[in-house]
Amino acid sequence: MNIVLGVIGSDCHSVGNKVLEAFFSEAGFHVINLGVMVSQDEFIDAAIESDAKAILVSSLYGHGEIDCEGLRQKCEERGLEDIVLYVGGNLVVGKTPFDEVERKFKAMGFDRVFCAHDDLHQAAEDLKVDIAARNRHA
Amino acid sequence: MNKSSLAWKDFLAEREEVLRAWPTGSGITLEDGIRYQSKIPKEKNFALAMRKARENGKTLTQPRAGVALIDQHILLLRYLESEGDADLLPTTIDAYTRQNRYEEAAKGIEKSQAAGHSLLNGFPAVNHGVEGCRRVTEAVRKPIQVRHGTPDARLLAEISLASGFTSYEGGGISYNIPYAKKVPLDKSIRDWQYVDRLVGHYEENGVPINREPFGPLTGTLVPPFISHTIAILEGLLALEQGVKSLTLGYGQGGNIIQDLAAASSLRELAHEYFREAGFKDYDLTIVFHQWMGGFPEDEAKAFAVINLGAVVAAMAKAEKIIVKTPHEAMGIPTKEANAAGLKSTRQILSMVEEQSVCGDNAAVQKEAELIRREVACLMKAVAAGGEGDRARGIVRAFAAGLLDVPFAPSSYNRGKVLPIRDNEGFIRIYAKGFLPLDAEIMSFHKARLEERAKVEGRPISFQMVTDDIYAISKGKLIGRPK
Repeated sequence: MNIVLGVIGSDCHSVGNKVLEAFFSEAGFHVINLGVMVSQDEFIDAAIESDAKAILVSSLYGHGEIDCEGLRQKCEERGLEDIVLYVGGNLVVGKTPFDEVERKFKAMGFDRVFCAHDDLHQAAEDLKVDIAARNRHA
Repeated sequence: MNKSSLAWKDFLAEREEVLRAWPTGSGITLEDGIRYQSKIPKEKNFALAMRKARENGKTLTQPRAGVALIDQHILLLRYLESEGDADLLPTTIDAYTRQNRYEEAAKGIEKSQAAGHSLLNGFPAVNHGVEGCRRVTEAVRKPIQVRHGTPDARLLAEISLASGFTSYEGGGISYNIPYAKKVPLDKSIRDWQYVDRLVGHYEENGVPINREPFGPLTGTLVPPFISHTIAILEGLLALEQGVKSLTLGYGQGGNIIQDLAAASSLRELAHEYFREAGFKDYDLTIVFHQWMGGFPEDEAKAFAVINLGAVVAAMAKAEKIIVKTPHEAMGIPTKEANAAGLKSTRQILSMVEEQSVCGDNAAVQKEAELIRREVACLMKAVAAGGEGDRARGIVRAFAAGLLDVPFAPSSYNRGKVLPIRDNEGFIRIYAKGFLPLDAEIMSFHKARLEERAKVEGRPISFQMVTDDIYAISKGKLIGRPK
């Protein structure tokens, strides 16, 4: 199963990206890792080319709110109606309660929102379930 | 001037093009910049402050800080200066400016004005121009430096120096390999030769300007010999262009013996390689960065990480420490959290700095000797590949993986090296990639990692790398299995 991974915007935080690539590969996914500094269009292009079931977006530098706005709409415009969208990292400038961040990004159309201490094994299980659910009513 | 220094007429021709990249560049003259800098009181000069710290055995504190709007940025700096008692001030540049995306920075300024708070993660100095930046440098009492992560920082340097900043962080390797994806290394090295030549010109005209290559690189399990080699190479590149005041950096690794060995060996090795290359007239100081990897979310735990770094910096007699904050795990701190990190660090420094604890510790010396041998392997390979041209040697070494920074995003970095902590938390090499380390050194690293694997009852693997990356944020130094 193909999934697209990358760090959005002008963000060059690369360490976690490499860990996620190794982890999700190990968990049985085929990871198309776009690395750091990925635009919305690059995420979507890669997902279309690889027929990916999910896009996993990271943002660590605080501009996540600006960078992620409109990604869901853009996916739908380009025919990716059933794609699973995950986002995680330090998503906003300044210390903010996580439930507030989660609400904000879910409203933007992300299926799940992750913070730094979330368990990756759980995320991989969730991803399988979410992909199956989205493709069932497709 | 030595043979590698950029020819002045070529520099001037390039300068015209640099200043045209954004409207705020037009009309900046070297004469006006030098005249303005010459009037800045000596106690506000960064290079002189670093020298004085070395002479007096002091460790100076410096935070990171930057917001989108000038007035708010001034308020922030004044707060860190008064409430945080910072010895040195920063102006941290936003991520758009670092990528030369001045139009996006302009939008960020507009959005921040509308929102009433900063939506940028730093100060967009190019957009604010010389006039705006001078307001900042004039509003503070302490020496002030530009800190960023910009592969092509030529225009930013022109504006910064003309505006009264007296220190400039970065380098052609350290602001490319960890900060960019597709910028060719020969391009960033050349662009930073321009910056260093500019700094050299100010020096020639009696204005001391401090330069600080970025030591910690990716800030995550970087073995000291890799960051030292790159710091020394960037130091040499800077000296070639006429830089005089040089601060080389090292990011805390976590094992106290290794950190002390790293701090002392960085100073000694830099002097050796600089003198061997024929440089005598320079002023070298050391900056220690508190832990640059992932932090615990709990603020009390974050303070513990901050304070361990402060202890080691004071013991190592670093002239400067870059201070983290209890909000590090969450991203950009409030001004209060930033000042809290400074105060906590200050308390430790003043309790430790008059003590001589590290001195002639045998374990520290043994580790420093290892670092010396490892650095020699890499420096020799770079020199051989350069055939007399240092920049060429560096570019070829990265292409061949002879220089390789763990976890870096750049496609000009091979990314084959993987570090793991040994059973005492020293950062060792698991996968060496193409690093030119000799067999004796590699068998030492291997033996140390096998010792840990045996204790943990599991094989040496990528899982250990991952566990070590997150260990400190989860309350431990070494990523042991559950």
